[in-house]
Parts: sequence; C-alpha cells; structure tokens
Amino acid sequence: MSAERWKEDEALLESLRKGSPGAVDELLRQYQGKIFNLAMSILKNESDAEEAAQDVFMTVIRKADTFQGNSAFYSWMYRICVNTCLMRLRGKRRNETVSLEEFMPVFTDEGMHASPMDDWSKEVERNALNEELGRMIRMYTEELSEKYRVVFVLSDVEGLSNEETAKILGLTVPAVKSRLHRARLYLREQLSRYLREGKAG
Amino acid sequence: MNCKELSYMLADYFDGSMDPQLQQELDGHLAHCEQCLVFTKTYQAVSDKARRLRQQIEYEIPPDVRDRLETFVRAAALKYPEKLDEYREQVERERREMVAGLVKAAVAGKLSPVTALLLETHWNACPECKEYFDGLLKAPDHGSGDPPDLIHSHVIRLMQSLPPGEEFFLA
Repeated sequence: MSAERWKEDEALLESLRKGSPGAVDELLRQYQGKIFNLAMSILKNESDAEEAAQDVFMTVIRKADTFQGNSAFYSWMYRICVNTCLMRLRGKRRNETVSLEEFMPVFTDEGMHASPMDDWSKEVERNALNEELGRMIRMYTEELSEKYRVVFVLSDVEGLSNEETAKILGLTVPAVKSRLHRARLYLREQLSRYLREGKAG
Repeated sequence: MNCKELSYMLADYFDGSMDPQLQQELDGHLAHCEQCLVFTKTYQAVSDKARRLRQQIEYEIPPDVRDRLETFVRAAALKYPEKLDEYREQVERERREMVAGLVKAAVAGKLSPVTALLLETHWNACPECKEYFDGLLKAPDHGSGDPPDLIHSHVIRLMQSLPPGEEFFLA
C-alpha cells in the first residue's frame, strides 16, 4: 500500500469524524464500488450485497470515532466487509461445497503429470470466450468453500498482496498462500475440464 | 525437481518469493517439460483472468442500488454529529460485552482453539494479563467480566486479530 493512499485514507477518516460535508462524497467515491463488488464476490447475490454494503457503511460511520488506526483504513473497511458478509452467509443454509481433492492435479509415482494437458491459456484472451469464461470463473469460485473463496477474491480478484490479505483476514502469510494456491489449482482444473468438454462437444 | 514438486511451488513462483536456486531449478524443469509448461501457463491464466474480470466489472453497481446506497450513507452521515455520543456508547458497550464474553469463556474453558492459543501466547508476553486470568481461574466468582483498562485493551486487540467471522468461543 502506497504512503499516499494511506495519507488520503487518514485525511478521509479525519474529515468523517469532523462531519465535513465533503467526507461522505469522498467515502462513497472511493469505496462504494469496491465494497459492493467485494460483497458481490462473496455473497453472489445483488440484494444481499446491497444490504451488506449498507451494513458496512453504517458500521464505518458508527465506528469512525473509535477506530484505533492500528491498521490502514482501507484494510479496516475490507475487514468489516468480509466480516459482515460471512455473518450473513452463516445465517443462511450452508453452501454445498465441493471437495477440492477431486480437482487437484494427479501425479504418477514418479511425480510426473498423470493426465494430458491442454494449453488454453491463450484462449482466455479471445474476445468470443470472454463473457463465457467470466461466467465460468464466477460459477466455480462460488463452489469454493468460504475459507478458499475469500482468500481468492481478496488476492487474485481484488489484487491485494498476500501480506494485505493476511492482515485483513487475520491469517498468516503462509496460510493465505496455501489457500490461494489450492483455490487456483481447483479453478485451473475446472476450467480445463470445461474447455476440453466444450471442444469435444 | 519433478512435476509434482514443481506444482507445489507455483504460488511462490508467481509472487516472486521463491528461493533463487529453487527458481533456477524450476525454470530448468519448465524448459524441457511441456506438460509443466502448460500447467504453469494455465495456472497463471486463472489469476490473470480473475483480475481482469474484476477490472472490467469495477464500479458496475446497478444504478438503483447505487442511488439507494448513497441516500442511505448520506442520511447516516448527516445524523453523525447528533449521534456521536450514542455511537461511542454503543461501541463501548459492544466492546465491554465482547470482553466479558471472552473472559467468561476463558474461565469456563470454552474458548475456541485459535483464541485459546492466542491468549496463551499473549500471557507469555504479558504478566498483567496472566496474573488477572490466573486469579480468575482460581476464584471464578471474583469480579469477572469487567477487567481493568489495561487488560480490557489487550483483550480487545486480541479479538481484533481473530479472522473475520471466527467466533472466540466453542459452539
């Protein structure tokens, strides 16, 4: 996180506390999209994401005064958002989640790849496939259990560093890496199967 | 390095945290193993695509959702000055309740494993907290629930380091 962004966040928090009229505009401009998108990535449902976003902003306003500033403001907001979304998910029927093991790469006893490998990495650049692949990634991400999904969303989708993700989730960096790695392996395998079947059909 | 070992290291490989010598070995393997090359490319394509998707859909909030959210946040912020004291009290109360809950769970031996570990680790570094909790464990009826400020602030910090959505007590 750049020092500039950090300073901006400090200033924003300060003006929120003072009740400056511009503070809310700034808060919305900077975070409305991010929070809504993050909530959508976790909850996968527009009206849930909307309610969660309201809760997040309400919590931020309520706690602006007592926020202790031992983490960066954006990281605090993301944490509130993840927390709010997970609480919401808990109230619902637990998602049927797939077993990741079934989608991990398979190796021979000699440690070589046991299954054939298609290179579709260039195909993801093709515009024709763009929308479809996007839908597939979202669908498969949704199948991941929370613990993998949240890490994948923060690190790969939101583009945060492993250190930032670890801080927001209260995990160690190695734990973040290991979850991220497994989530990617799972998605890689699912996309491979999907594209292979697509070709065959 | 074989294919299996290579697959374990891909996360390190792409975030640049890999030991230089291992990376050399990995690159050496990739140079002659077509299967791993494809595996690695498609592995990376997953994060690339996810990231680009996000950039494409950024700020794409439906207009009516955006309107409602803005109205909501503005109304909440407008009330902020008059509600400030109430908010402070709320936060204070929530914190006291959380701390009391944690202390109670600790005394009853009902902390979640993660919280218990965090607390024990903290005790090793903080004689004040250790003494306070030891006292309670010996005589659970004495003044539990509302610890002195120092203990209170340490317990709050400890709870803030728990992963989001993680409960501090056993279900």
